[in-house]
Amino acid sequence: MITCDEFFAEFADYLENQVSPEVRQELELHLSQCRACYVLYDSSRKTIKIVSESNSFELPQKVFDPIIDRVMSKLRTERS
Amino acid sequence: MSFLGDVGREQQFDPFLVFREGFAFVPNLVQAQSALPRAMTAHAKLEEAVAFRDGAISRIHKERILLSIAAHRRDKYCVALDSGVLSSIGVPRVQIDDLLNDYRQAGLSAPDQALLEFCLRLSRNASSVRFEDIEALRTVGFGDQAIVEAVVVTALALYRGTLSVALGPEPDFKPLELPVANLRAGHEVTHAVGATGGRPKTERRGPYVPAPFLSRSTFPPFAIVEKSHGFIPNFFRAQTLRPDLLEAELDAVSLILLSEDSLTRAQKESILLAVSAANLNSYCVAVHCNLLRGLGLSAEQADQIAVDHHLSNLSKADIALLDFAVKLGTRFSEFSREDTAKLQTLGFKQEQILESIVVTALNNFSNTLQMGLGIEPDFEPPSVFEKNKVNLSGAQPTLMPREGVVHLVDTTQDADSEVVAQAQGGNLQAFEELVRRHTQLIYRALIAILGDTADAQDAMQDTLLSAFKHIGGFQGRSKFSTWLVSIARNAALQRLRGRRNTESLDQDDSQDDRDFRPRQIAAWQENPEQNHSKSEIRQLVERGLLQLPAKYRIIVMLRDVEQLSTDDVARQLGLTVPAVKTRLLRGRLMLREWLAPHLTTSARGAAQ
Repeated sequence: MITCDEFFAEFADYLENQVSPEVRQELELHLSQCRACYVLYDSSRKTIKIVSESNSFELPQKVFDPIIDRVMSKLRTERS
Repeated sequence: MSFLGDVGREQQFDPFLVFREGFAFVPNLVQAQSALPRAMTAHAKLEEAVAFRDGAISRIHKERILLSIAAHRRDKYCVALDSGVLSSIGVPRVQIDDLLNDYRQAGLSAPDQALLEFCLRLSRNASSVRFEDIEALRTVGFGDQAIVEAVVVTALALYRGTLSVALGPEPDFKPLELPVANLRAGHEVTHAVGATGGRPKTERRGPYVPAPFLSRSTFPPFAIVEKSHGFIPNFFRAQTLRPDLLEAELDAVSLILLSEDSLTRAQKESILLAVSAANLNSYCVAVHCNLLRGLGLSAEQADQIAVDHHLSNLSKADIALLDFAVKLGTRFSEFSREDTAKLQTLGFKQEQILESIVVTALNNFSNTLQMGLGIEPDFEPPSVFEKNKVNLSGAQPTLMPREGVVHLVDTTQDADSEVVAQAQGGNLQAFEELVRRHTQLIYRALIAILGDTADAQDAMQDTLLSAFKHIGGFQGRSKFSTWLVSIARNAALQRLRGRRNTESLDQDDSQDDRDFRPRQIAAWQENPEQNHSKSEIRQLVERGLLQLPAKYRIIVMLRDVEQLSTDDVARQLGLTVPAVKTRLLRGRLMLREWLAPHLTTSARGAAQ
C-alpha cells in the first residue's frame, strides 16, 4: 500500500477528480485502511461543498447603488 | 547538470560509447550534433533505452519498424543506417529489400505485419490512431508492454527522421536506391483516410494502455520533473508501464529543454507550442501554453502563438525561428538548407539552430507518443485554439495570417459586446448598465485581494472610475467581464500597496513550508450543513476566507466561491495551472482547519 506522503502528493488532483483510474484505485485502497487520511479527505470534501454553497460575500444589489450613483454623477459632472 | 539529480552517473555517461555499443560506430547523424554535446547525450539516452535492446519486442522488430518508416519518409540517410544495422544483426539482404519494396511481401508473420502497419500509420497520421487500433494489436497477441515499446520506437523514428532532414548528414553506409513503389498511392497505408474526421462522442478515450501508479518516492525521476515543470504531466504518468523507457525520456527532456545556455527556455517552449499547434495537437498546445505562462508570458501571448505566431509580439528573429521549426516539424519535404541559412543571417548561432532542430525532433517524438497512447490533457487548451482548429478542418485548410488583431475571444459569445461598443462610444448609460451587470463579480474580486468588506466597497469606486477611463483601450482580447475583473484587481492591488506590512501575492510557493500538513484529525459530522443555519455557515465561511493569506484567498474565492475552472483561474491571474492547484489545496486545507472546531462530531452539541 502507498504511504500517507504518497497519498498526500496526489491529494489535490484526487479532490478535483483528476487522477487516472490506476492512481484512484491506489488512493482509495489507502483511504479504506488509513483513518487519518480518510478524515482528511472527508473533511476537505465537505469544506469545498460548504464554501461553494455558502453564497459568501453576496450582497444585495442595493448595497452597491449609492456607490454606482456617486460614480455616475461624478462622470456626468466631468462630462458637462 | 544538477537537475538530473545524479551528477556522478552523468559524468560517466559517454554518448559515443553508447553509440559504439549499439551501432558499432558513431553515426554521422550524431556527429552532426557535436555543437551541442548535451543533444548528443539526450539522443544516446533515447537510443540506448528504446532501440538498442531487446525489450518486449526484439531488436529486429524495432529495426524493421525504423527502416519501414524511414523508407516511407524517403529518408535516404536513415534507410542506409537501418539497412546496415539490420544486416549486421543477421537479417538477409533479400528480406531488407523486400521490406523496402513492400513489407507485405517480406514474409512477415501476420502479427508482425499488423504491428508494422500500425507503426507506419502512427508515423504518418498520428491523429488517426484510436483505441480500436490498440485493441487489434492485443487481439493478435501483443501485450501492453510491447505496444508501448512499439509506439516509442515509432516516436524515435520521427526523432531521427527530423534530425536527418535538418542536418543532412552523409550516409554512414552506401545508400540504397529507394524503390519507386514507395511513391505509389497503393502502397500508402489506407485506413487512415476517413478516420480523421470528428470523433464520435461515445468513443473510448485514452489513455489506451494501463499506467500503474508510480510515486515520487518509488520513481525518483518523477520528483525531478515535478521540480522542473511544477507538476508531473499526464504525458509521463501515462507511460509508467515502462519505467525504463520513461526514465530515458525524462533524461532527454531535461537535457534538451531545461537549460538556458543556447536558446532560452521560453524560445524552446514557443517552438514546441507553435509546432504542436501546426500539428493540431490540443494536448501539447495546452501543456506548452501553461509552461510558457510559467516562464512569464501572459495567457494572451501564449494563445496568440498557438493561433498564429506571426501576429504575436515576438521579435522578427523569433518569428522566423518558429517558421523554421514549424516547416521542419510538419512539412519536412519542403525543408531545405536555405531555411537554415536564413536563421544564420538573422544572427542565430550554430548551436542555437541545432537546438531548435533538436527541440523540433523532440516535439515530433512527443506528438507521436501522445497520439499513439491516447494520453489525456492535463489542462484545457485555449478555446480560441480549439475554435480555429475546427475552422482548419473545413473545406479550406488555410493557415494564412489574418490582417489586424485576431480576436482571441469569440465576441459573439460575449453577451456584453454590444453594450461595450456603445460605452466605448461615450454612452454613459451603456456604461452604467455594464457596471450594474457585474458589481457582484467586481466586489468579490476586490474582497478576495483586500480581505476587508469596507475596504472593498471603497475600492469599488476606484474600479469603476478606472474602468470608464480605460474602456476605450479594451480590444476584445478577453471577455469584457474578465477585463473588468483585471481592472478591479489592479485597483485593489494599488490600495494594498498603500497599506503597511503588505503580504506579497507573488511570493514563491516553494519558500512556504512544503510539507503543509493538516493538524485537525477529528472526524467531521455526517451532514454539517444540517446542524447549522445557512447564515451561521455563511458567516463562518466568510470569516474563514478573510483570515486566509491573500494569495490563497484569491484562488479559493475564484475557484470555490465563483466556481471558475482551475484553468480559468490560472488565466485570470496569469499563473500556471500547477501553481493554482498548489495554492488551492493549501487554501482549502487552511479553511478546513478553520472550520473543523465547529463541524467535528464532538462539536455537534455546542452547535445545537
